[in-house]
Amino acid sequence: MNETNDAFDKKAKAMFDESVDGLDAATLSKLNRSRHQALAQLQRRRQTWSRWMPATGVAAAVLVAVILLQSPMAVNEIPGLTTPTDMEILLGEDSIEMLEELEFYSWIDSADLDNDVG
Amino acid sequence: MDVSTAVFAVSYSGTPITGTRALQKERQLNQFLAEVERRALRIAEIGVRNRADALDLVQDAMIKLVHNYSERGQEEWAPLFYRILQNGVRDWHRRQAVRNRVMVWFGRKGSDYNDYDAVAAAPDPIGRTPDEELSNSEAMQHLEAAVHDLPRRQREAFMLRTFEGLDVAGTAVAMGCSQGSVKTHYSRAVHSLREQLEEHRPEGYGPGEGSR
Repeated sequence: MNETNDAFDKKAKAMFDESVDGLDAATLSKLNRSRHQALAQLQRRRQTWSRWMPATGVAAAVLVAVILLQSPMAVNEIPGLTTPTDMEILLGEDSIEMLEELEFYSWIDSADLDNDVG
Repeated sequence: MDVSTAVFAVSYSGTPITGTRALQKERQLNQFLAEVERRALRIAEIGVRNRADALDLVQDAMIKLVHNYSERGQEEWAPLFYRILQNGVRDWHRRQAVRNRVMVWFGRKGSDYNDYDAVAAAPDPIGRTPDEELSNSEAMQHLEAAVHDLPRRQREAFMLRTFEGLDVAGTAVAMGCSQGSVKTHYSRAVHSLREQLEEHRPEGYGPGEGSR
């Protein structure tokens, strides 16, 4: 039964292929035109993209760079620096002296508070 | 992600779409479409019994494949293309049914697709006697008519498996069903066609031939 079906299948395929091979020139020409129309949209898409790609790429890169530089997180991600306060202390001219006498300044601060209350 | 990585990522994302890769993809698509277009036309023509409409359907399928699936792997194109084409044929029949209902309501004859003359539309092969040509044309006419009259799913399974040569997995993708369903539809289609074409069978596919 399978052999019979295979023979039928082969014969049907051969008849179909014959009809495909015999397509007239006008029809083949229309098919050719259809194919090129379909592929033309691929070319259009590529041309459009390549025309805008440099500008789009630069704009996107600038945007990303500005966002990252403007963000406070960019500073926080520098290793060893955990808070903006650390940065301020290091950048201050007299900060080292203040650090050495931190206890003294703390005492003055609390003494001022006591005086204000009194 | 730091700034330099971000800039690189933005710049790199456009690279694959342009350049040699895109041209290569276009060449592959062109080759694929050139290979399938003639068989696709005949398959669509058997489905709708009208060459002009079949040409439109093939063109639509080509455009949709290129537009939606050109980035897919090459091995996926054939099942996807035939799926689009079969959907197009299905939609064509729906539109035709609506049009016929409207025409009947206005008291006019519906479509003329039942008057389709497959012999007149058949190709004109070279190098054969008129008798041979007539015989082959008639055999193909009977085969076409019988395939056209099959239930839709059986017709799709038979044409995709036999005429286009897709395997069971590819046919399942093209038909949007399981491989088991493809086997069932295909088997029923072959059985039905063999019965219908018994009287007009072309030489070579009868039981005697198969048992040799």
